[in-house]
Amino acid sequence: MEIRVRCGCGDSSCPEWAVVELQGAVQPQASFSGDIRGLHIGRLCSAPSPSSSKGGYTFTVGYHELAGTKVTLKKPLLVLRKKKLTGGAADQETPTAEVVELEVIGVIRHKILFKDRPKALISKPPTKEKAAVQPAAN
Amino acid sequence: MDAEMEDAETRAEIEWDGGGGGADAVLALAAGGASVSLCYHQAFGRHDDLVLLEAADDLLPDLLQGRVTIRGRPDEEAVLCTPSATYSMKFVGTSNSVFLIPPGEPSAPCLRPDNTSGDANAADAVAAAIKLAPGNIELVRTAPRLDKLRSLLRERPYTLDEDLGDGFQHKKGLYTWQDLCKLIQASDGELLDGLNTLSAVEIDGFWRTVDATSMNTILDMILHNSVLHDWPLNAVPENDVLSVMESDGFAHKIVTHCLNRFGTKVEQEGRSFWSLDEKCVCLQFARRVLGAGKMKLANFMDKWKRSVPSGMRVDLQMLEGEVLYDKLGAETWVHAFSVADLPLTPAERFAALFRERLKWEWKDLQLYIRDLRVPGVSSEGLLIKYTRRTQPSSEAEPIFTAR
Repeated sequence: MEIRVRCGCGDSSCPEWAVVELQGAVQPQASFSGDIRGLHIGRLCSAPSPSSSKGGYTFTVGYHELAGTKVTLKKPLLVLRKKKLTGGAADQETPTAEVVELEVIGVIRHKILFKDRPKALISKPPTKEKAAVQPAAN
Repeated sequence: MDAEMEDAETRAEIEWDGGGGGADAVLALAAGGASVSLCYHQAFGRHDDLVLLEAADDLLPDLLQGRVTIRGRPDEEAVLCTPSATYSMKFVGTSNSVFLIPPGEPSAPCLRPDNTSGDANAADAVAAAIKLAPGNIELVRTAPRLDKLRSLLRERPYTLDEDLGDGFQHKKGLYTWQDLCKLIQASDGELLDGLNTLSAVEIDGFWRTVDATSMNTILDMILHNSVLHDWPLNAVPENDVLSVMESDGFAHKIVTHCLNRFGTKVEQEGRSFWSLDEKCVCLQFARRVLGAGKMKLANFMDKWKRSVPSGMRVDLQMLEGEVLYDKLGAETWVHAFSVADLPLTPAERFAALFRERLKWEWKDLQLYIRDLRVPGVSSEGLLIKYTRRTQPSSEAEPIFTAR
């Protein structure tokens, strides 16, 4: 069996995909029971990182904030899509055998990686400060 | 992944049209407080038809220019083949959440868990994840799997008296280049090298080996005609030998194949000549003599010397990797044991060697393992993995036994 790997986009114009990687799993709120398709996950922001010269990123998911960086992959990842083409060769026992082909539809050269534990964003309720009563000057 | 996620994935998967991810917005995020709202794509799901393949920079041109195939039968581990190399494919899983975001403009806004559209920051660009990647395929350079090639070509070697009919049953055991590409897990270049190593020839579109008896007959006829027509063995005229052999009923292609196997073509003054290689010819005669089985070295040498064409000198060095010597008392016996008949995978090769002999000296063993090619592993590495080395003293020759 031979599966051909094809690329319709050519060498230079292969569309680049993005990857956001974080440790653990993202779960919808317990109250949510609908379809997650189309559901908002979080807000990805670029932020200057104090620890490094490279720009950092924050990812806010619900009440959690993650800090991460953009990583250039040592080896690029190709995104392949399996295509089933019907109609086998005449010499095959089953003339309508499925022929599978893999098509390169994208390349991934970078990922935004969040490898640290999230920081909780819930702050303490504001406390009213008592105004200091100063005696009036006579 | 939690129950809701699994539940969502088991629901009918929406066909994805190939776009609408907004990867560009994510990739373009630069320092300065810009932000992107990330959501699940309208067609988010398992999408098992999408796979990630890790490709080193030197492999990218082949992959992006369609010069790559994946080969293997359903019962075999798949390999990826470029025109000149073979790579094993290993799936490396991850426990991280890897959101894949395709390029293109997202078609729908993000939906908040409370079913309201939009985000806190309405000016945010939107990116949509199409799937969570469970891992990626890693490529590791591997040796071509050519053992099967040898067994396929041995099914039906070419014989001089054969007659190929037109019926399909007559094609049984015969393989075209396309057949071999589908059956053998090797790149085109490695497959061609394997065919050359096995001295295979393409006859009527099928790759065949020529059986030993037929090869001996053709070689004998070439040598006989050389004597008859006074052709020097280092300059046999191509046109003359082919016309004489064809008039004797031998196919042009088979004669050329035989000349190619036992000699090299040289051009002189606009004419083509074949120079027969002394070692190749003598080795063929040695194989014939040893076909009778184990024999005393002195007897073998005598028979071998008498069998070779006049003008050719025999030398035991010609038999390296072809015969084994056994000392029995004062006498040395010799028997055929060809490296060409041994398996090509290291584990099977060493198993076959230790079936033949329990203990090997390095001078003998190295002749039978020097052709093993395992990317990233040296001969020393193979010895450490498959053998146990013992050396009674620093002066003594090391002895290798099975690990």
